[in-house]
Amino acid sequence: MNKTDEELSGLVLEIQRMSTEDGPGIRSTVFLKGCPLSCIWCHNPESISPRPQLHWTGSRCIGCRLCIGACRKGVLSFNEGQGVSIARDRCDGCGVCADECPSTALEMLGRNWGVSELAAELAKDRAWFEKSGGGVTLSGGEVTMQTEFSVMLLSELQGAGIHTAIDTCGQCAFAALEKLLPHSDLVLYDIKEIDPEKHKRFTGQDNRRILDNLLLLAEKIRQNGNSTVLWIRTPVIPEATEREDNIKGIGRFIAEHLNGVAVRWELCAFNNLCRDKYSRLGLEWRYAGKSLLSMQDMERIAAWARESGVDAQIVSWSGGTRIDNGTAEIIRPIANAAVKPC
Amino acid sequence: MNIATAPENRSHYIKGAGNLSPRIKWLRDYYFKGAERSWNNEFTCWTTGTPWDVQFNEMTYYIVPEVYTLMQTLRGSYRQAARAVALHSDFWTWSIPERRAWFVKEVMVKYVPKEILPGDLIAGARFNVQTSMCLTESEQKHLDRRLLGKNGARAAVIKFHEHGYGNCGATSGHLVPGHERILKLGWKGVYAELEEQYSRLSPVDKKGRRGAQLRAMMTSATMARDLAAEYASLCRDLAQSEADTERRKELEGMAANLERVPWNPPETWWEAVQALWLNHMLIMSDENYPGPGISFGRVDQYLLPYWRRSISDGMSPEFGKEILKCFWVHANTAYDANIRTGNQGITAGFGQLLTLSGLGPEGRDMTNELTYVFLDVIDDMSPILEPKPNVRLHRNSPEELLSRIVDMISSSQGAPFLLNFDERSMAGMMLEARRAGITHLINEKNVHDYAPVGCLENTMVGNDRSGTVDNNLNLLKAVELALTGGRDLVPAEDPVTGAKRPITQDGPETGDATSFDNFEQFFDAYARQTAYIVKHCVEIHEKSEEVRRDFFPTPYLSNFVKGCAEKGMDVTEGGAEISFTTLEAVTFATAVDSLLAIKYLVFDRKACSMAELIQALRDNWQGHDVLHALAKNKAPKYGRDDDEADEMALRVMRLWCDECWKHKTVATGRQYRPGMLSWNYWAGDGYVMAASPDGRPRGQFLSNAICPSNGADINGPTSNSNSVGKALGGRSAEGEWDDYVNLLPNGASHTITFNPSILKDGEHREKFKAFLRGYCENGGTALQINMLDPDMLREAQKHPRDYRHLLVRVTGYNAYFTSIGRELQDEVIARVSHGKF
Repeated sequence: MNKTDEELSGLVLEIQRMSTEDGPGIRSTVFLKGCPLSCIWCHNPESISPRPQLHWTGSRCIGCRLCIGACRKGVLSFNEGQGVSIARDRCDGCGVCADECPSTALEMLGRNWGVSELAAELAKDRAWFEKSGGGVTLSGGEVTMQTEFSVMLLSELQGAGIHTAIDTCGQCAFAALEKLLPHSDLVLYDIKEIDPEKHKRFTGQDNRRILDNLLLLAEKIRQNGNSTVLWIRTPVIPEATEREDNIKGIGRFIAEHLNGVAVRWELCAFNNLCRDKYSRLGLEWRYAGKSLLSMQDMERIAAWARESGVDAQIVSWSGGTRIDNGTAEIIRPIANAAVKPC
Repeated sequence: MNIATAPENRSHYIKGAGNLSPRIKWLRDYYFKGAERSWNNEFTCWTTGTPWDVQFNEMTYYIVPEVYTLMQTLRGSYRQAARAVALHSDFWTWSIPERRAWFVKEVMVKYVPKEILPGDLIAGARFNVQTSMCLTESEQKHLDRRLLGKNGARAAVIKFHEHGYGNCGATSGHLVPGHERILKLGWKGVYAELEEQYSRLSPVDKKGRRGAQLRAMMTSATMARDLAAEYASLCRDLAQSEADTERRKELEGMAANLERVPWNPPETWWEAVQALWLNHMLIMSDENYPGPGISFGRVDQYLLPYWRRSISDGMSPEFGKEILKCFWVHANTAYDANIRTGNQGITAGFGQLLTLSGLGPEGRDMTNELTYVFLDVIDDMSPILEPKPNVRLHRNSPEELLSRIVDMISSSQGAPFLLNFDERSMAGMMLEARRAGITHLINEKNVHDYAPVGCLENTMVGNDRSGTVDNNLNLLKAVELALTGGRDLVPAEDPVTGAKRPITQDGPETGDATSFDNFEQFFDAYARQTAYIVKHCVEIHEKSEEVRRDFFPTPYLSNFVKGCAEKGMDVTEGGAEISFTTLEAVTFATAVDSLLAIKYLVFDRKACSMAELIQALRDNWQGHDVLHALAKNKAPKYGRDDDEADEMALRVMRLWCDECWKHKTVATGRQYRPGMLSWNYWAGDGYVMAASPDGRPRGQFLSNAICPSNGADINGPTSNSNSVGKALGGRSAEGEWDDYVNLLPNGASHTITFNPSILKDGEHREKFKAFLRGYCENGGTALQINMLDPDMLREAQKHPRDYRHLLVRVTGYNAYFTSIGRELQDEVIARVSHGKF
């Protein structure tokens, strides 16, 4: 986030158009970069760092080695059979190599967008938003890490009559949420884990601030006459948040504190499609070998949620589940993600 | 015409037919036995018995390059197979149209065997015939010279195709005959009108061409009556020997129908469907070509009175549908024509298209109970190829209709119909009316009566023949010629021998591209080459258009087209009130992306000189890996809702459309109008055309109709649709229907492949309905919806470079398919195969 004389800009990882999972209707979801948590299952590891990052996709590399010459800091090296290696400790993210790369094997993750420029880009799908009751969702990363930019963007979108939503993990100063709230028609708020200890173990932070913020937020929403809609989202992660005590605990919290404010509680099934992102970023992923949950697992977990004391109507679950036909289940970790350049 | 996929070619789960009675199930299963059937509707061939006689009208295949090498064989084998017809004693004293009318009628009524399949409720089985040209020896010689001579039509079109321009030819069908009028009047009424027209001719006219044409049309007007009488007596005979009382009653009912219709106007649903079938099938006989875009138009409108009447008289809706399902089976036997060459014959490019729903007067929606009856039948019968449905949507289409459509899409792994979008389509029809000066024939009061032909080619109904597939031009050729200053980039090749053709100065000399200082200079050259390729196509087409006018009258079909009787002109002479011919542009996105790439590589990024780029193309990109990668991956592309790239698309669109409007056929005075339909040319011509600056090597597919190039569409369906809408002119004060602009009156084929997860539950199906409503606002004229297919994904596993932008979504989570590991890819394939998201 840089403040220039004319306009704020924000660091955006990706804009996903015709998104159907981040709020009502057809939406464009803006993934911002930077997140205060580091969840062990994170599906968007490239969104955690608040800075642009270089990554290399082996299947695209043509082995031309132009990037090696382009980098003045000697960050890149090329090994036959393994492709391009990035010495990340020395890379300052200048992006010259990605610019030079003819095949987009090297790409910079994260691009700065000005508020008006981005608002105009997002407004291209206005017809679809209007017909579907959709709009724009700011997700991440974490929206509250670029609060000022997000407030400007949301207010410009709202001014243009576009429905707005933010997707937050809640780990922030409440002031940030307070600023965002008037410009958000919908808040998607994560409760990942009810047990503070476990929350810390899974995400790097305990959940005290997250839950406190949620209570304050709910109070604000009540004060505003429920002009903002609140959805709660819980990622259902094997060997982590999928436990009965967690799901029921979250349910009791919602029932006790958010009654009448939270109109939907979404249980989002663990997803493994991001596995190769980790290897492209040079990261290990503890979940690389985990298979998806089964449909039965998710039905059982949704049943716990409905029994937890919340209005059963608000519970829904989404996400891919395992296909138990013997061929599709993934249990093996991938040995070496680097793809041979040719 | 790109929607045909044989059901048996699909390896994954696909919905089976449902809700079929034992009767229909038997008929449908029997049909799918293909060449194993003891009964089929294979071509039968008929001759006048003269030694010079020919049946095969090769011009109708000039737009099917796969057939070029077979032409002489087909011509010869149909002659060999032909059986002689005893001629009327005056036969050789008649004009060509009279001979032809009499001959086709004689064959259909007296020679072609008549059969009723077990349980069938509709009569009219064999209709695929190859009938004599009915020419005298000198006429035939004259014709052969103009077709087969050194400067004849055949050599010209083959050369045109070999050099990568495309193809063209005076093709059969491709119109919506005026079925409503013929049903309402009955042939009796049509005949009376013809007699009246004829009686008003001056004695000189009676002796001349107009008189001959009207006499031919009168002969044709009795063909359906006499054929119905034959079938009626067959039904009576079958009824007598039928043991089953139910079936006997049905056969007697059929006989009673056939004794009344189509000579008299139908009164009941059964009569109307029977009459419509006979009237339709005889057009295919008249033209000697099976189902080439002979379209039914708005069946849920003009058949509605018969449906309502029979329902109120006590017909059960189920029996009404049963009759329609028999009609469905009949329509599919068009494919029997060349049944021994494979299940679908030479080509699956038929398209007996029917239109459902859409706007009416004063912006009213015309969906009715019969619309849903047709949708039920489509749902029950699919997957099956014919008739092809096209559902017209607009801003006020009812929720119920959209829900039904989306449900059908979700159970069919891809839409069992095309969708047409009224506002954008009608804007194009208004444009053609203005540009051709026929606003008295197409205007805001009647433009809603339009209907698509074949697949999605918009025309008016019953008075319009607009040659919607007659000219297919590769816009990319102009890019190639601009690079070389008017010469082929690489030598054209004989597809059989591989012999290389000499390179000559074919297009205008537009200068040495290597000396251009800026992109505008290049674009000027491109513009002049575009003018040349359009004119060249028009000249080549003229040859067959003129030959058809002189030698291939279709008097029976002319009865269905307003203007023909009035003018005493055959439809092939340009007799229709509305008589355009359409230039279909192929390779649009490849041409646009190539221009964008030239601008980017040579002038903006300066990654190479023009000479280096030209060399890379001559080398088919081999040895130019970096430049190739830049062209493919870094140059801007149309289809991403990138305003700069889409502006280039609009610039290319306006340019070629303006060139198109400059031309008329000489022989028949038909105004050229633009459209975009690529049938299968974008695949086949990919092997003919040289490598292109967008990074496509020779041998890889070109772009299809108005779709973005393969792999260019990286921002999803909304951005893809926005680009298409912009390329058609977008929405502005220039709009000709509300603020909709549509530079392509014919319409443009647009296909989007969706991830099945978009339809996984009720909430998502609502979102998909909203997508269609958004498409009405921002998209094109017609949309084919495909669902991600496991075969495509397996291809992507094998050739990741060609599918690098293929996005898969599992409940909202996006990933580029080729950048996830093999095991995950397998999982996604398994998921798609099982429809589990």
